[in-house]
Amino acid sequence: MIQFILNGQEVSSTAKANVRLLDVLRQEFALTGVKCGCREGECGACSVILDGRLVNSCMVALGHVAGSTVMTIEGYRATARFAALDKAYAAVSAVQCGFCIPGMLLASECILARNPRPAEAEIRAGIAGNLCRCTGYHAIVEAIGIAAREGKGLW
Amino acid sequence: MVNGYQAASLPAALAILGRDTTIVPYGGGTDLMIEADENATYLFLSKIPELKKISEDAGYIRLGAACTFTEILESELAPPLLKTAVSQIAAPAIRNLGTIGGNICNGSPKADSALIFVATDAKLRLVSHRGERVLPIAEFYLGRKQTALAADELLAEVLMKKDGLGNYYYKKVGAREALAISRVSFAAVLDVAGDKIAGCMTAFGAVSDVIIKRPELDAMLIGKTLAEARTAKAAYLAAYDQAIVPIEGRISAAYRKAVCMNLLRDFLASNGI
Repeated sequence: MIQFILNGQEVSSTAKANVRLLDVLRQEFALTGVKCGCREGECGACSVILDGRLVNSCMVALGHVAGSTVMTIEGYRATARFAALDKAYAAVSAVQCGFCIPGMLLASECILARNPRPAEAEIRAGIAGNLCRCTGYHAIVEAIGIAAREGKGLW
Repeated sequence: MVNGYQAASLPAALAILGRDTTIVPYGGGTDLMIEADENATYLFLSKIPELKKISEDAGYIRLGAACTFTEILESELAPPLLKTAVSQIAAPAIRNLGTIGGNICNGSPKADSALIFVATDAKLRLVSHRGERVLPIAEFYLGRKQTALAADELLAEVLMKKDGLGNYYYKKVGAREALAISRVSFAAVLDVAGDKIAGCMTAFGAVSDVIIKRPELDAMLIGKTLAEARTAKAAYLAAYDQAIVPIEGRISAAYRKAVCMNLLRDFLASNGI
């Protein structure tokens, strides 16, 4: 039995400790906001926030999160910070197919949590591990900047 | 847990490894999960306080093996040369998971933090239920993906010298800026005291089966003034030209060789040699 906190709830899994957190989130907990892209830590579509840090859930064995806190896009959706990012992304149409967007939003959160007024270079470095195959980076960078300006006090 | 152990202390972890040496130590998992073995039983090390500590003593900065790259970047004690290299590893989400211990023990010649430890003659503190030993990192690497780590041993700490590392040079050559595995990497330190070279340390990564480190060649410059080093430069470069024998892979050996020599020349030139 592996226990951890998932989106604010204490949960436990009987899955093997060596399986990928990504698979457990999608299959056991039906959290399909976590996307499976490359399964080798390159694309960022499976990003979650583990103990306050952005990680690729495809690169995390379930046993590694025992006693830890995991947040996926489903949990983040309930926050005021999400609402500010959602509005900013929508304002500049920073979404095309949407596959990368859950990971992009969690990366955005981690950028702003560290620095509420990031420079453009910091934003670009912060999303460097989240690939968008619709070529939408410019709008996403702009959206994070808008959220930083308009979400005053949230971060 | 099924197929896994989580240890809360180092002695507890060593006792588990001492009982069953087929267990695989798991630092951040970023190398292990790439080729995840569904039969593997992992020993999770990320919650062992002894392995997360960064401290210093009279001679050394002591870095806990389970420190992530992000924790190295956020540390006030970690040397700037190490931070420079670590900041170019993968992307933030991987740096939040990957550990220096995993980077070293995975045994890859492309490991970007291991290059710095080899270049600067770091020492490794290896522990087991039988006791502990401190090994120069040069003696740790035995061949491609082969290390001196015994099956019941864990890397506990990396010891980096505190002095003499300030004047450094580091270049990583990859296919792109983020998320790139090194095609060639080079780290060097030139310690100039007064008008003499007190120390010269170089290492080349991602070129051969193990990181290339040739202290006997670097010794050709040690004890010399910069003017004397300029005179010795041709012989030094010629000796390295012999010593660097890259492997042919996805990246051609000729390209790797040319880049290595260019970086070595640039390192010397940037120091007036």
